[in-house]
Amino acid sequence: MSRLVYSTDNCRVTIKPSPWQEVTKVLPASIRSIISGLPLNILEKLEEIRLRQNRPLILGLSDGDILLGINGKPAVEPLDCYLVTADDIQRVTQLISGCSLYAFDEELKNGFITLPGGHRVGLTGKTVLENGRVRTLKYITGLNIRISREVKGAASPLLPFIIDQRDQSVLNTLLFSPPRCGKTTMLRDIIRQLSNGIPELNFRGVVVGVVDERSELAGCWQGVPQREVGIRTDVLDGCRKSEGMFMLLRSMAPRVIATDEIGTDEDFAALEGVFNAGVKVLTTVHAASLAELNQRPALRNLLNMKVIERFVLLGRSKNIGTIEEIIDGRTMLPLPGKEVEQCLKYLPAL
Amino acid sequence: MLKILACLVIVSAGGICGMLVARGYSLRPVELRSLKSALQMLETEITYAATPLAEALGLVAARTDCRLAPLFEETRKELLSMSGCTAKEAWEKALFKFYPRSSLIGCDISILRSLGGALGISDSSGQSKHLRLAMEQIGAELEKAEVSALQHVKLWNYLGFLGGLVIVLIFY
Repeated sequence: MSRLVYSTDNCRVTIKPSPWQEVTKVLPASIRSIISGLPLNILEKLEEIRLRQNRPLILGLSDGDILLGINGKPAVEPLDCYLVTADDIQRVTQLISGCSLYAFDEELKNGFITLPGGHRVGLTGKTVLENGRVRTLKYITGLNIRISREVKGAASPLLPFIIDQRDQSVLNTLLFSPPRCGKTTMLRDIIRQLSNGIPELNFRGVVVGVVDERSELAGCWQGVPQREVGIRTDVLDGCRKSEGMFMLLRSMAPRVIATDEIGTDEDFAALEGVFNAGVKVLTTVHAASLAELNQRPALRNLLNMKVIERFVLLGRSKNIGTIEEIIDGRTMLPLPGKEVEQCLKYLPAL
Repeated sequence: MLKILACLVIVSAGGICGMLVARGYSLRPVELRSLKSALQMLETEITYAATPLAEALGLVAARTDCRLAPLFEETRKELLSMSGCTAKEAWEKALFKFYPRSSLIGCDISILRSLGGALGISDSSGQSKHLRLAMEQIGAELEKAEVSALQHVKLWNYLGFLGGLVIVLIFY
């Protein structure tokens, strides 16, 4: 269950907990014991733990959801299910914030808190408004703990198509997919490999700047990345993407800037600035198809600028993180060739 | 000879008992004063620096009176153990260990218990209000404790010895 990790900095073999073990630390003892008692084949597929007050405890697995019974076994009838209590919700809320909700004002406004290791906890409840904008959340009654995974090598099949091997540069790339298709995991591995260098492609590592607004990509804890993001990667943790991209441009001279889940007009405006500075961009966005991307005005502008050189559609057809399509940004058509076909056939291990 | 020795023991024991009771009266205002300034430090850490609770408690423990430090230090340790307990439970656990070794009395402890129930569960302005309320209540108790110390410290110091003497006179 735990993984043996060879740590190069102190030359010691350490035991690193599995992602599900990291998140169970923030669960109350009752739920912790139920989840820890589950068979390993279920735990390895665990993607989400959903807690809704007075409703059943639901686990989101890579192949569907299951309800959990009081005895710790999957249940079918709602009557047999473990019902999440108000006390459970209060406890988890306290534990995810280290009993310091006051230190998470900004996170509560955005509706999520990131745990050490990059696991994200979404929160719902009653919003408190001030001047028409969300000031904070109170009466928190719903939590969704999303388990962040690090899959080294996940991006390997894709890399030849987002690197220009003639001039050893990275192509501006947009990863898009519906939620829970492995965009962040894929982006993290792209960052890691570009930063470390890829001997198979004769690609020397480049300086990558990461604006990690939600602390998911690098999973920073007190500023130190907990996920492997590469030796030449600089991370701006918890910073707004629109500001962070310019900060990195001015201060760290990156060759590539990577950021997750762009969405606001400010993000797109900042991206334009980065393109004009000659720095390459790797980013992700929620959309199920190119047509959906086109329907969003800010994204439409970006598409019309023809600056994105590769669009990569991810999905779950074979497994989470399946590369469904690689689209050339100039022609807006799928890339041809046998290599691309082989890449699309690749079975991901996300 | 043996009688004289027994009389001396009784008088000394009475005196020591009196001094112990008097010490309780004299130490309580000292502890309350330290507690008030410790809570002031905690409020600063929480409201101005948004320092996470465990870290803030550690900072307070390092800077406060050594008699009070264990309360903050024990709570910090319990929170960092990730045993699944809340701030209230960790605070109560530490308070339970701290109480017998302190000079605080029931009403001081009940102020601290109600503060524990509010630690870490609201935004910084909420935390500030709870901490200020506790500080005000401690301030009121401090005034009472100072008056009480003035009245009782000398009284118990004499009463112990005199009590011992009375016992000696009765049984001699």
